[in-house]
Amino acid sequence: MNLKNKILPGIAALGLLIAVVVAIQAEQKTPPAQPVAQPAQAPFKSYIGGAGLIEASSNNIHIGTGLAGIVKTVFVKVGQPVKAGAPLFHIDDRELQAALLIKDANVLKAKAAVEEARATLEDARSQYALVSSAGDRRAVSIDDVQKRRNAELLAKARLESARAAVIASDADVKSTRTGIERLTVRAPIDGEVMQVNIRPGEFAQAGVLSTPLVMMGNLDLLYVRVNIDENDAWRFKPQTPAAATMRGNRDLKTMLSFVRVEPYVTPKQSLTGASTERVDTRVLQVLYSFRRDALPAYVGQQMDVFIETPELPTPVVPLAVAREEGK
Amino acid sequence: MFQIALKMLFGDRGKYFGIITGIALASLLMIQQPGILISIFSRTYSFISDVALPDIWVMDPMVKYVDDSQPMLDTELYRIRGVKGVEWAVPLYKGNQRVRLADGQLVGSNLLGLDDATLIGGPAVMLKGRLADLRLPDAVIVDEAGATGRLAKPATTPEGKPTPLQVGDILEINDKRALVVGIAQARATFQSQPIIYTTYTRATSFALSERKQLSYILVKAKSDESLQTVARRITHDTGMAARTAQEFKDMTFRYILNNTSILTNFGFVVVVGFIVGAAVTGQIFYNFTLDNLRYFAVFKAMGATDRMLRRMILLQALLVGFVGFGLGAGATALFAAATRGRAGLSMTLNWELLVGSGIAVALIVLFAALISVRKVLRLEPAVVFK
Repeated sequence: MNLKNKILPGIAALGLLIAVVVAIQAEQKTPPAQPVAQPAQAPFKSYIGGAGLIEASSNNIHIGTGLAGIVKTVFVKVGQPVKAGAPLFHIDDRELQAALLIKDANVLKAKAAVEEARATLEDARSQYALVSSAGDRRAVSIDDVQKRRNAELLAKARLESARAAVIASDADVKSTRTGIERLTVRAPIDGEVMQVNIRPGEFAQAGVLSTPLVMMGNLDLLYVRVNIDENDAWRFKPQTPAAATMRGNRDLKTMLSFVRVEPYVTPKQSLTGASTERVDTRVLQVLYSFRRDALPAYVGQQMDVFIETPELPTPVVPLAVAREEGK
Repeated sequence: MFQIALKMLFGDRGKYFGIITGIALASLLMIQQPGILISIFSRTYSFISDVALPDIWVMDPMVKYVDDSQPMLDTELYRIRGVKGVEWAVPLYKGNQRVRLADGQLVGSNLLGLDDATLIGGPAVMLKGRLADLRLPDAVIVDEAGATGRLAKPATTPEGKPTPLQVGDILEINDKRALVVGIAQARATFQSQPIIYTTYTRATSFALSERKQLSYILVKAKSDESLQTVARRITHDTGMAARTAQEFKDMTFRYILNNTSILTNFGFVVVVGFIVGAAVTGQIFYNFTLDNLRYFAVFKAMGATDRMLRRMILLQALLVGFVGFGLGAGATALFAAATRGRAGLSMTLNWELLVGSGIAVALIVLFAALISVRKVLRLEPAVVFK
């Protein structure tokens, strides 16, 4: 076997070697992609899962105004704690202030009118006294006596009327002052300002708005509104413990204490924040609470919540499976 | 004696190369065609293989294979999380959306929405950028084949070549802005569409508005129970179809097998390769033995035993078998290595295929040796004097 004859088997051996190498490489598996964060895990044996949305324990209060107008001053900043009754913002009140000046003047006018009426009454009274005290009835005509008595009665009535006008104008002033007071919107409870969506110079509309002028709430205790699919609602038992996990880091979790069940099952909104929120199913809403310092959580944030349930006693066969098995 | 047998073989160059070429071509056909077939089949479930982390896939009971997503309600995710034995469950959006390129061309692409918090289901190998960058606004990650292929930026001049997508480029998905933050390596899919990764919520806002958006729920089972048990329990408790990753792969594979004629086409070529290989090789080898009959007669006359003659022919047959198979396997291996990871045609060369085709080649050469041995054994030593 000379060199020439060894070439082809040599190439063949090389080819086979390459084939074996390629085949070995094909066996190697690429490692799976590792998650950026570990997914949430339930700390219970038997549980139901739900999407939770954090809210203030007082609910998120969307502050509105009863009177529309241009905002003059905003007294609070976002994140500022406020006491009940503290002013939040003030709407331009020049129109009502001007009206108040007129109405104050009207009070003075009405008071002057009272003095005038009183003087008239005095006059009428003395005129009448002159004739009524005369001993001889023939000295004055009956006609004159009656005229003077009526004049006195009329003057008395005018005085009453003038006094009423003073009260009325006083009330008018008070009404305008209330109107001015209403232009300052105040905090209804102790809490923290979560949003300020109005700035001086902007027009504040009265009524229910999609973006609140100011949002505030009591944040000492945070509530988690948990949406439970209506298909799982029967498994939920009130007063059972629950755990909430922060999204993105499952080590940040806290136990929740039960607050209440919303007795009305509402249509669920996908929490996409998009303008076209989709309603896809109905959910039972359950409120749980946790202390604010337990987690670095913010109002409006979503959480993964697990609620402990008793173990399923008997298997419940849903319709779709029953149909499948019946085939 | 074996030296002489080899000398006989190498002496007749024409026939030697003829046999080797025959076997090399037969083994080429028998390795390459099934290799391409395996590659195509593995693409049918390549997506399930890529998303390697979850054990169980939960889907609508009507889903027939992986690309046939039948969306479910978003709240099903939380029902699945409440099933016993589920360690975690995350949503996955999978759908086809059209991407508009800079020149207005629309390209159908596979949009994948990964769980926002964990990004489970993401690509294993990032070529550029980081998976966590998906949390940036409007961020998407494009697979390499798509970035260099169908989603590449169109050429500015008519003759120019399209430039591959880079990190920082902008795409338009259903009129919405998408920022490319990474290029990933993903296994090619059966439909060979570009793959675009993004987060679940962003995918649902990219997608045309539908009432249901959740394609799959990816579940990791607790380790103390078998996957089947947990999957059956999920199906039982929620009415959703839960399949282990292997079951889902098998189901997808069966669907493609039953609904396309790929297997028949490739199988036919393999059978033809075997028959032609056997016929050609057998024929030439037999001819070669006939030509050398005189020498075998001489050996017989010199007193060579039947056993020795058989061994000589077997040696010749095995050598040509080895050389032919080595050349064929080497050529296909180079082809496999060259096409690996490509979006277009590619083939998979694995152990089973190599051993199987080796056995087939061995059968061919043994068959050729058998008919030659029969002729030689019946030979009268007197032939040498004719």
